[in-house]
Order: sequence, then C-alpha cells, then structure tokens
Amino acid sequence: MSELYDAIVVGAGPAGSSAALTMARAGLKVVLVERGSFPGEKNMFGGVLHRLPALEEVFPDFWDRAPLERHIVKKGVTFMTGDSSFSTTIEAGNFDRPPYNGYTIFRPRFDRWLAEEAVKAGATLLTRSTVDELVYEGSRLAGVTILGREGKLSAPVVVAADGVLSFTALKAGLRRPTFNEGQMAVGVKALLDMPREMIDDRFGLVRDQGFANEFVGCTAGVRGGGFLYTNYDSLSVGLVFHLASLKTSGKTPYDLLNQFLEQPQVAKMVCGGRLQEYSAHVIPEGGYDMIPELVGNGVLVTGDAAAFCNATGLNLEGINLASHSGVLAGKAVIAAAGKGDFSRKGLEIYRQLLNDSYVMKDLKLYRKAPHMLHNDRIYNEYPELVTSLMEYIYRIEGAPKENISKLFLKAAREKVGLGNLVGDALSAWRAL
Amino acid sequence: MNIDEIFDFTSFTIDREPHIVLDANVCVGCDNRGCTNCCPARCYTWSEEEQKMTFVYDGCLECGTCYVVCHRKAFTRWRYPRGGFGVAYRMT
Repeated sequence: MSELYDAIVVGAGPAGSSAALTMARAGLKVVLVERGSFPGEKNMFGGVLHRLPALEEVFPDFWDRAPLERHIVKKGVTFMTGDSSFSTTIEAGNFDRPPYNGYTIFRPRFDRWLAEEAVKAGATLLTRSTVDELVYEGSRLAGVTILGREGKLSAPVVVAADGVLSFTALKAGLRRPTFNEGQMAVGVKALLDMPREMIDDRFGLVRDQGFANEFVGCTAGVRGGGFLYTNYDSLSVGLVFHLASLKTSGKTPYDLLNQFLEQPQVAKMVCGGRLQEYSAHVIPEGGYDMIPELVGNGVLVTGDAAAFCNATGLNLEGINLASHSGVLAGKAVIAAAGKGDFSRKGLEIYRQLLNDSYVMKDLKLYRKAPHMLHNDRIYNEYPELVTSLMEYIYRIEGAPKENISKLFLKAAREKVGLGNLVGDALSAWRAL
Repeated sequence: MNIDEIFDFTSFTIDREPHIVLDANVCVGCDNRGCTNCCPARCYTWSEEEQKMTFVYDGCLECGTCYVVCHRKAFTRWRYPRGGFGVAYRMT
C-alpha cells in the first residue's frame, strides 16, 4: 500500500464522489477512500436532492442515469400542537415538469452509484478503509494512513469529504477541536415501507410524483422540526433537534419520534407503514459562522466537513452544497496540479471558486437564519397560536363572531406578547 | 410503534475493538450527562443508585451526537470504526 496518487479523497459521499469524478475526468490519478463496506452505507439524510449545477456540467446526463425516487411536486408546512394541526401546501405545475426541482433518494443506493461513476471515470475506490492519520514530510502533505493497516496512501493533496465531524480537517488543524452544540442538530429518521398505491392515494399523487412536508411544533418544545417525504414505496419520517436545546430538555430523540408518529394527524399519514430502518446523524446547522478553515497545506475541506448546510426552516440544503463544493475542490486541485503547487497558496483558488458560487453566496445570505431559529416561541407558542386561531375561525356554533383581526391580536397578546410578535417578525424578515 | 421495535431494524457488523472508549469516572462528576438523553441509540445509561455510567457501543449509529454534547471530554478515544465495521444502513 504505497502507490502514488495525484489526489486522495477521504469519504465517498456526495462531496467526495463529486470531487473524485471531476478530477478523474480531467485525467488525474485519484483514490477515493470510504470507511463503509460500500459508499452510502454510513450515510443518512432527511431530505430532498435538488439541482446540482456544477456536477451537471461535468456529468451532463446525470439526471437520466441517477437512481432517484419520486420528484417533489407538492411541498407542505404543518403547524402542529398535541392533537391539532394547520397545514399549507404548494403544488405547482412547474414542479411536475422537467427539470424537476427535487427528488427523494436512498443514500445507500445513490451514494454507491455516484462513487461507481467516479470509478468509471478512472478513480480508484477503496472501501472498508477508515482514514487515520495525515502524513507530512516537513510542512508538505505526503499522504494518509488507514486504521488497522500498514503503510500509507501517497499523494500531495487530500480532499476532506469525511462528513460533519471531519477528523481529516481536525488533524490538518483546519477545524476547532470542539464543536459548539448550539451550532449542531441531530436528525433521527424512521423508514416505513408502504405500498406504492397507498402512498399515491393517501397523498394525492400520480405517476412518479412525490410529496415533502415539514412540521413545526411537533418536538415538545425542543427547538427543531419534523419531516415526511415520500419515496416510491416507503415514507421517510423523522425529526431534527438543535442539540443544545435537546440536551437541556432531558427528552430523548426516539421518545419524541414515537410521540410524533402517534400524533393523530401524523398517525393517519403513516398508518399501515412497516418500519424498515431507524437512522440518525448530526447536522452542521450553524451556517456561515461555523465554517472551518477551508484550505490548508495540501488539504481542502468540502461538504458537511466544511459545514456547507443551509437550514432556513423552509428548505434544508446539504447534498447539493456538498456536491457543488466537491466539484470546485476537484477543479482547484486540477489547477494546482497544473502549477505543481499544492501549498495553501496554490490551493487558495478553491476559496475563490466557492465565493463566486451559490454555496457561499447563499450561506452568507442566510447567515442570520440559525440565530433566528434559536427562538423557542417558534416551536411552542406560534404553532399553538396558528392552530387555535384557525380552529376558532372555522368553528360555527350559533354564537356571534368576533372581528378576526381583533381576535388575532388578542390571541397573539395572550400566547406570545405583541412586542415579541413584532420582534420575531422583524428577525425573520432580516434572516430570510 | 414502540421504542424497542425502532432499534431492532438497523443492521450492524460489530468490531471486537470499541471505536469509542469512555472514561466513566469523568461522568460521575458531570453536572449534565446530556449523552444519556441525546444519544439516539441510547448507548449511555446513568444509574443514580450506583452513581455509575454504563456505555455500550454495539448499537452506535455513528451519528456524532455524544462527541458534540460531552463537555467534560470524557472520551479517551472517539473515532469511527475500522473499515467495514459498525452500522450498515441499507435503504435510509
């Protein structure tokens, strides 16, 4: 195990495989190192795969070939309390015409396929290999070692695509040794088998149409939210919690998930589903302010390892940002290889490419969103306010009605306080 | 659906050598023990009676929660399992 490569990519997720594919197609000798027994074995998400402009450029027939599930035509938000809920949905004709806005996918299938595409482009894939140490010769990076194995993989540059905890970035001195739990979330998910026809009928879908719904107020006061996505013949249902809030609550993710599944309106949606798999993962939700150093001597950081994740409450983006940053890291390595300079200075072009892309622009735009979402009223009082007000509006029982705007102000005063209401509206306006 | 059922459907290839090693003595003096409620795989159990933290890594989902929430640096080792070991998602 001492073969010399042009580049080592640590982690065969969307960021790593996009980077490897980009470099391999440009003729570089790349090794893609994955700790799972196949790519995607360790990966979970509760989400939707959106457009991938950078990858589509190096991989024009991507959408024709990728193993996808349903395309999302219907998106909903549900405000929820113990036994009531108020939902809004948007179903747009444009969401049902290609190019589609987003798809549900299975990570063990999708990630494996993308890594195999990198292999077809010429990359070498090493599975069952956990990267252990970075090896330096002086200040110059020389390669990596694999946990439990002799020797090393040699290359002048490493792309750290090893996920949210990135020990590669840590060992390169690019991320801080401890995380701020206020900037992290944990997602838990149940995958429920359900016949395709049942899903179509229940959610009003035909052909390959899919539905994606987010929930607020379903986390027993813990900052966070819920999600439900339709696959061809299964549902992905889960919750995401801000870790600092979960920790002080004393509540457990699996109890809250069970409560969520038993909430009467959710229970009807998942009824008849059979549990297939339970999964969990930490999510970097701190946004722009938690991004580590992205470039070191012989090291670039991409994807979740770089905290490229946008959680604004309405949209949750991660895989698209990971893939985009992976392609840009690949391009930066190609440029550095052209000059034979893999020092921090030689790789600095990566930062420039990122700054010019939607990855950094969006992270900057939504810089205040994580702060806005650290407001407990969003998870308690507001869902209650919305559901109780709607319940009142629709209740007809032969008693004289009150003026709705007066009623709203009265309810808002009681539940959240008018000062808070104005402050929160301003904070949301500024953040989004 | 009940809790026990939730944990039964995820597959693992368990390594004899633990990927996470906890110095449980540190946990005795911890004022918080956020790991016990935050871990989605309930790997951490605190016994008030025995004043003792029990940690099992068998059902670890490798999610990273304990690495983030432990503020007492109680881990003498926290790394991912050797290649091929640990949690194995099939269709999540």
